[in-house]
Amino acid sequence: MRLLTKSNLNYIWLTVSVLLLSGFLLYRFLYIEISEEIKEQLELQENMVTSELKKGSAVHFPLVVVKEIDQNTALNVPVFKDTLIYDHIQRKSEGYYLLRQSRKIKNKIYSIQVMTTYIGWGHYSRAILFIFLFIAIMLIVVGAVMNYVLNRAIWNPMKINLKRLKNYSVSSDRALLLEHSNIDEFKELNQVIIELATRAKGEYNTLKEFTENASHEIQTPLSIIQGKLDRMSQIDQSNEMTNIISDAKSAVNRLTKVNKGLLLLAKLENGGFPDESNLELSHLLLRQIEQVEDLIDHKEIRLNTEIKPKTLTASSSLMEILISNFLSNMISHSPKGANAKIILLQDKISFINSGNVLSFDKSKLFNRFGKNIMGKTGNGLGLPIVKQICLLYDWNLSYHYTNGEHIFEITF
Amino acid sequence: MKLLFVEDEPVLLDEMLAYFSSDGNICEQANDFGQAVEKINTYAYDGVVLDITLPDGNGIDLISQIRACQMGTGILILSAKNSLADKVNGLNLGADDYLTKPFYLEELSARVNALYRRKALQGEENILFDGFTIDTAGKCLLFGKEEIKLTKKEYQLLIYFVVNKNRVVSKSAIAEHIWGDSFDETDNFDVIYVHMMNLRKKLIKTNGTDYIKTVRGLGYKFTW
Repeated sequence: MRLLTKSNLNYIWLTVSVLLLSGFLLYRFLYIEISEEIKEQLELQENMVTSELKKGSAVHFPLVVVKEIDQNTALNVPVFKDTLIYDHIQRKSEGYYLLRQSRKIKNKIYSIQVMTTYIGWGHYSRAILFIFLFIAIMLIVVGAVMNYVLNRAIWNPMKINLKRLKNYSVSSDRALLLEHSNIDEFKELNQVIIELATRAKGEYNTLKEFTENASHEIQTPLSIIQGKLDRMSQIDQSNEMTNIISDAKSAVNRLTKVNKGLLLLAKLENGGFPDESNLELSHLLLRQIEQVEDLIDHKEIRLNTEIKPKTLTASSSLMEILISNFLSNMISHSPKGANAKIILLQDKISFINSGNVLSFDKSKLFNRFGKNIMGKTGNGLGLPIVKQICLLYDWNLSYHYTNGEHIFEITF
Repeated sequence: MKLLFVEDEPVLLDEMLAYFSSDGNICEQANDFGQAVEKINTYAYDGVVLDITLPDGNGIDLISQIRACQMGTGILILSAKNSLADKVNGLNLGADDYLTKPFYLEELSARVNALYRRKALQGEENILFDGFTIDTAGKCLLFGKEEIKLTKKEYQLLIYFVVNKNRVVSKSAIAEHIWGDSFDETDNFDVIYVHMMNLRKKLIKTNGTDYIKTVRGLGYKFTW
């Protein structure tokens, strides 16, 4: 639930319950006050009638009934009660209040009854309810409008910042810039986020430098090991020794590949490749396909190509790496006799080959060493390098598996 | 060939010297920038193998110095740090080829030989062995006057073998040489075997000699 909706809902419930309670209290208060008033008014009226009677004048007021009664039926205390009187104008019975009291005037006992219009409490309560409902609705409407306006003003910077955070990457050179807000909490949040981003970037850079430095430092010793092993393999050896050298060589070879791959990834993250130029991708692609034709034939892969001219601005060495990684991936993961297709159009390049569904989650495909079966096929860095190249040039790289085909696609 | 190796890592330098000397090349060495400048200004070389990271200077700066006095010298850069920028920089300044550490000595040898043919001999030299002629300009193999048809890959393989003759060359080095970095998987070694067998048969058919031997577990050896 969005914050705005949540706070609005709470606001509505609170408003409605406050208004209901105050409406009820108002009703009760009015009821008591007005009842009291009416009583006083009736008592005054009765008092006036009594004094008229005492003066001996005949009493003929509307809604006043004076009767002489005998001692037995005399009331000790005044009686208040409701009654109905037929209103011949409105042609319906209306409720009235009535006060009946017995008075002894000049040795006669009178029953004096005064009345006044009954105030329709039903009407009152309905009126109060309507007014309060109206207030409630107005409060809600005005509140919602105000919330909406305020939220736009207050939350907009927040929304912009959220978008920027989503697009932010510690590996990019761009610093994180956040929209300023004059709300204290947001100011603090911005500050914390910027600090966090700076720290993460710093740590990321340290890590990256470490990888780079380690890879560099490894290169020369690796060259030496490789040279020495090579020298050893020139000398006639026993079978046992040959196996040992061979194993050591393939391990060094693997290490070399991983090292080169990691270095390239580090370079890619640093961005900016010096050999960028306008190049004809179709030429590069055709040349590379031709170069591995024997590998494709050997695996009996039936390769179809649909290659249209396409020029783009990119580093030619990176494009070579990209294509050869795709080709190598395609060749080594195609079963014997598989179908494959390479398509190059103005807006995309696709490498498609038939084969069994992945045995691992496809999200791991572009992760470094994501397959965890290093050495068997590839060094676990081929596709991550492709991904990084696509990131560098802002191309969209996708993979899907449909109808028994692995489809890798880059949209430019 | 007369070669100069500029490299500050003594063990690696030894390896390269041992490799190239055994081929009958005259090899000289320079362990740092100063030495390298001195040698370049004193002697002429057919080829210079240049490490870029030197303790007292950047190997890149040597390129223009070499070019200033020796136009026909082939320059191959060995690089570790910031390889791609070095490559572009180096090639722009006049280097001819480029190799990243770690590398196969066979590959270095193939590249240095190719440079030698292209630069010092201006592509005129044919590689001769045992009555065969590899015409590097026409990219074909001749026996006497008769041409032996080779596929592109067989031709590449033959030159690689001949340049590294009498040495065991590993299958991964061959794979990397003919297909590039990404294709040296064991699966592809079968394809090398196919190419090697075809080449071998063609050579045997021509003069009855079997030049290529399989060294179990390690690779192939071309001898004559």
